[in-house]
Amino acid sequence: MSNSKKMFILTELLLAVMVIIVAFLMMREKNSGNQDTISVIIQDSEDGQWSAFKYGLRMAAEDLGVEMVVVSTEEKLSVQEQQSLIENEIENGADAVIVQPACGAGAEEMLQKIGKRIPIMLVEYTASREKDASALPAVRPDNGGMGTALAEEILKDYEGNLEGKTMGIVSSTLDTEAALNRQEGFLDVLEGKGVEILWTLSGGEGLAEEEEKVDFVIALDDHSLIDAGRAAQANNLHGAVVYGIGNSTEAVYYLDMGMVECLVVPDEFNVGYQSIQEVVRKRGRLFRKMESIEVSYTVMRRENLFSDKNQEILFTMNQ
Amino acid sequence: MVAFSVISVSIMLIIGVVLYARFSDISREEMIRSTQKLMEQTGENLEDYLISMRQISDAAYYNVIKESDFSSQENDIQKGLNLLYEANKDNLRSIAVYNNYGSLMAAEPVASQKEDPDVTRQGWYVQAMDEMENMHFSTPHIQNLFNDGTFRYYWVISLSRVVELTDGGDSKLGVLLVDMDYSSISRMMKQINTANTGQYYYLCDSDGEIIYHQQQIQISDGILSENSKTAASYKDGVYDETFEGEKRKVLVNTISYTGWKLVGVIPYSSFTHGMINIRYFIFLLMLLMGMMLVIINRVIAVRISRPILLLNDSVREYEAGKKPEIYIGGSQEIRHLGYSIQRSYERIESLMKKIVWEQNERRRSELDALQSQINPHFLYNALDSITWMIEAERNDDAAYMITELAKFFRISLSKGRTIISVKDELQHAKSYMNIQKIRCKNTFSVEFEIDPEVETYCSVKLILQPILENAINYGVSSMDDDDCGEIRIIARQEEGNIFLEVKDNGIGIPEDEVDLLLTDNTRVHKHGSGVGLVNVNNRIQIVFGKEYGIHIESELDEGTLVSIRMPAILYTEENRKLLEKGYYSLNRKKIIDEKRRENKNEQQ
Repeated sequence: MSNSKKMFILTELLLAVMVIIVAFLMMREKNSGNQDTISVIIQDSEDGQWSAFKYGLRMAAEDLGVEMVVVSTEEKLSVQEQQSLIENEIENGADAVIVQPACGAGAEEMLQKIGKRIPIMLVEYTASREKDASALPAVRPDNGGMGTALAEEILKDYEGNLEGKTMGIVSSTLDTEAALNRQEGFLDVLEGKGVEILWTLSGGEGLAEEEEKVDFVIALDDHSLIDAGRAAQANNLHGAVVYGIGNSTEAVYYLDMGMVECLVVPDEFNVGYQSIQEVVRKRGRLFRKMESIEVSYTVMRRENLFSDKNQEILFTMNQ
Repeated sequence: MVAFSVISVSIMLIIGVVLYARFSDISREEMIRSTQKLMEQTGENLEDYLISMRQISDAAYYNVIKESDFSSQENDIQKGLNLLYEANKDNLRSIAVYNNYGSLMAAEPVASQKEDPDVTRQGWYVQAMDEMENMHFSTPHIQNLFNDGTFRYYWVISLSRVVELTDGGDSKLGVLLVDMDYSSISRMMKQINTANTGQYYYLCDSDGEIIYHQQQIQISDGILSENSKTAASYKDGVYDETFEGEKRKVLVNTISYTGWKLVGVIPYSSFTHGMINIRYFIFLLMLLMGMMLVIINRVIAVRISRPILLLNDSVREYEAGKKPEIYIGGSQEIRHLGYSIQRSYERIESLMKKIVWEQNERRRSELDALQSQINPHFLYNALDSITWMIEAERNDDAAYMITELAKFFRISLSKGRTIISVKDELQHAKSYMNIQKIRCKNTFSVEFEIDPEVETYCSVKLILQPILENAINYGVSSMDDDDCGEIRIIARQEEGNIFLEVKDNGIGIPEDEVDLLLTDNTRVHKHGSGVGLVNVNNRIQIVFGKEYGIHIESELDEGTLVSIRMPAILYTEENRKLLEKGYYSLNRKKIIDEKRRENKNEQQ
């Protein structure tokens, strides 16, 4: 075979290989429109407390070019129900899941097993009651900090003098890391301040008129705060001043109407936004480990409820 | 081909780059133009919306508030406001009138006012009171006026103005507030913010405070940032800016009356976003064109070079000794070249034939000339001897001599041939020696040692006679009678050659003269025919080539050996003709050898 013929065949082969590569790149570019899908499983997904969180998810999904699906759920999920939901989402093509862990034994193990198959990010709290014991990453509000801030606000209102005051604590559950940390943060600050905790309600039974009269009712989550707000509106709290943690417009409404004295609002927008952001970062890199993130909170009072900053928080809650 | 390929690929690259650049420019211009159009359209929609809000405010003021007294015609005012609200409730959140103390005079829809909202400290109220002659559009904010029991907080843009109220016949100042639903503006902006190419639009006031931005919360949370303060300072038009390291085009459109700026942002990356596939496509097109060009180049090059290569091959074959037809084909020029080469070769060949023929003719003439030198001398001497014998009445001897002389001349003539058999040549030598012996009165003896096979080979005619003549004249003739002169003629074969040797025991030749015998043609012969060994040597070499001829060995007082070396070529008619035509010296020995073998086979 002559040199020129060899050269001709080599050139044609080289060009053909380049054509194949460019065609492959074109096909890949065409298919790059297929977005990753991230499924979000939260409990009682239609509840108003999730508005800011879902808005954060939506914004992050738009900014980062992923598809986000919030699975519609009932009020409480068992570990098995949650596992079944996650499995369904994986079968439906979810590339990653964001989960508010179900309360119950085996939640951590179940989520860890799934975490070996696809990236899994927890939100609001860790699956274990001890946050340091959890192996899975979580984006959650600074629960301990919020409890502390709530207690400090009470102390501020009474100039640190709570001697002889009584208090009742309401929490939807004390089975979660969030509830425990909030309570712990709250009680740590008030320890030795002379305030007496007459009762602590948990398990979602709500406030009853028959409860012993207290000076303060402390609501450690949105549901409890709304309950307390409603009770205060109905004058069922015997004049108790309500302090609490909440993140729904209803909770803000009770603050606005004067039923709640002080409201600590977790930045749920950022919980949603950063959970998606972290998952997307992980999707891009095989060996990257997802990090746990703690987001901040805002202390709202009636006087500053309509400040520019708080208006933005209300904006996210209204979405 | 390489140069042609390089040029064509370069042109193709230039075309590709120019095409892409032009396409890219057009696409960029088109993108900017369509963005401008979209912004103008959206700006008009926003203006229409804001004008309609102002018309509502005007209607509420001039048709309802100014026409009625709040004390006596409260129902009429409420009814009027209600009509306005109902007609525009898709875009309105509320219409409210406050007096100069901030007390609510009327509102639609009817809802309980919040406990002490303190409107006099709210921005819209302050703005209206500060500049009474104007209408004021606020930035978006949460409406903090009414409690409708829905636990919702509405985002509104407030249009406020100072109005003159009549309350109990007294004229007072008040503020008319039309709260526009933010979602209407948000909806308009969302409609144009659907592109996922990185291009987006936002709305800000004249101070750069963001009214709508698709990433408003991210910006206020510090996750992202926006160059709205700078954009607010721009007049309407298209600007280039670099914000946070990103180059982008910024288009600004001012909304009338409000001073709001509708800003369109096109990052430079979004210009290329849709262009990536175009880039790949152009590259793919160029590659395919490149493949086509290489094939076309190849076809053209082969078409051009193939006739040249074929012509070259035929010329090479010709040079290698074959005689192929010179290739005639291809384009007119190459055909012409082929014809020229063919004609040249034909001419060379005819010239070569002519040269060979001329050389043969010349050789033949030389041979003839050389042989013609022998005969007269010898004839003179022989006839002289015969005359002498007849005079001495030695008639038998004379008869014998005449017989030998006849044999001698018969062979000398040989029908004009120059090549004869060794046998004839030896016979010629014998006749000559017999004649010479009689002439010299047998003063020397002659002895023949002949290998019979040698006799069948070819020899140049009359080559032994001059040597024998020399052997007699210079070797043995001057010897004393006591010293019996002796001449031996030996014919033998060795390694494909035949050797005809004449050996005498004469006085020998001095060493310095031996070389001259074969080179000096000018030597004067004292005796004999005058034909020297040079003549014989030349004739042998003319027929058989330079490697053959005469070799002389001589030692004074011992004798001389003159040896003729010739190739052993079987004497046949065909070989004789070939040799006489001079083919042997033109390296045609091979043919002769073949012929010789054939002949041998035939004989066997």
